[in-house]
Formats: sequence, C-alpha cells, structure tokens
Amino acid sequence: MAFEEVLARVNGVFVDVLDNEDIVLKYETTSADVEEWDSLAHIELVLEIERQFQIKFTLQEIQVFKNVGQMCDAIVEKLA
Amino acid sequence: MLDQGATFRHEFAVSEAVYQGFLGIFNDRNPLHTDSTFAQQKGFRSVVMHGNILNGFLSYFIGECLPTKDVVIHKQEIKFHRPVYLGDRVTLEATIDEVSEAMGVRAFKFKFYNQEREMVAMGRLQIGLLA
Repeated sequence: MAFEEVLARVNGVFVDVLDNEDIVLKYETTSADVEEWDSLAHIELVLEIERQFQIKFTLQEIQVFKNVGQMCDAIVEKLA
Repeated sequence: MLDQGATFRHEFAVSEAVYQGFLGIFNDRNPLHTDSTFAQQKGFRSVVMHGNILNGFLSYFIGECLPTKDVVIHKQEIKFHRPVYLGDRVTLEATIDEVSEAMGVRAFKFKFYNQEREMVAMGRLQIGLLA
C-alpha cells in the first residue's frame, strides 16, 4: 500500500476516533497539533489503527514515532 | 496470564447489603427500584435492582479478580437484557478478545447470567495495564 493511501486511512481513523471531521493530517503532525489527541485518545488511535490495518505494533516501535508520518512509514513497511 | 482468549468467572450476590448500599450512596429511589406495587404494575416480578449495580460488580472484577492489580479501566459499555431482582446470584463471564502489547491494553467481552442461567446483561470493557 502506498504512503498516501495509508495516510488517508489513518486520517479517517483520527476523524472517527476523535470525532472531528476537520482533522487533516500531515507528515509532521503530532499530538500538539490536534486538540483531542490526549493520552487516552492516543491509546484508542493506536488500537484502531492496528485493527484497520490488521497489524500489531510493539511498545518500542510506538515510542520511536515522532510524528504521524513516521507511523505511516512503519505501516507501509509492515504491509509490504 | 492476561492473554488472548483468557476467560474469567466470578459469582456475585445481589444481596440486601448491595441493594441498600447502592440506594444509600446514589439515592436513585425511582419507584421501579423501591416500590414493588409500582414495579409489578409495570410488568416486573418485584422491585428491579439498579442496572449499575452490575457496573459496580465489573469494578470489583477489574480491580480485584485479575492476576495483577496494575490495572486501570479505560471504558466499558453494557446492555441490560433482563431485570435483576433482590436475592439473585449473577455470574460474570469475561473473555479477553483483544490484546495490544504496544498500548498495554486488554479488551474483554462479558456476560452476566442469573441463577437460572439466563443472560441478564452483556457488554465490553477495556483496561490498561499500568507500567
């Protein structure tokens, strides 16, 4: 799956989980950029991304991601 | 321990102490819960126990029945299928059906059965494992 498609699907997860249709994710987006993205929301986002893409992250992987783009890169790699 | 598919069971008594305790703390004295004549007129056998007593039992399950005390509840949802009455014994059966090691999360599906093995409630709950 191409990066752009992954980003679009991840954007959809953010919109659904955070209940905010105005969210537009970019590569550099972090939790500081999205008001609803707090610690509990972070858990729900990761869970839903795991379900949507049928993948599993490790704690070490999650801790390394600096922004949405790096997470999407990892998803592309896992799906390859 | 808390692996995918792990199942837990615990029986709870809907005793006078539980009923009075809930009434005393939350003060929901709606006649459905306190007036047997009213409850029978509405089609119930007797006064109906508050549904959220079952949520209290879930709190005990999460906090006291799991193999670790390092837990925090994230969310739960419950659907009440049948009334519960004073004196009923309800059995909780909960199974882990989702694990996220990255987020330290366990999600359960659960059902409560009464002593007649009728399903009185069902739902889902999600907990986090504290580091």
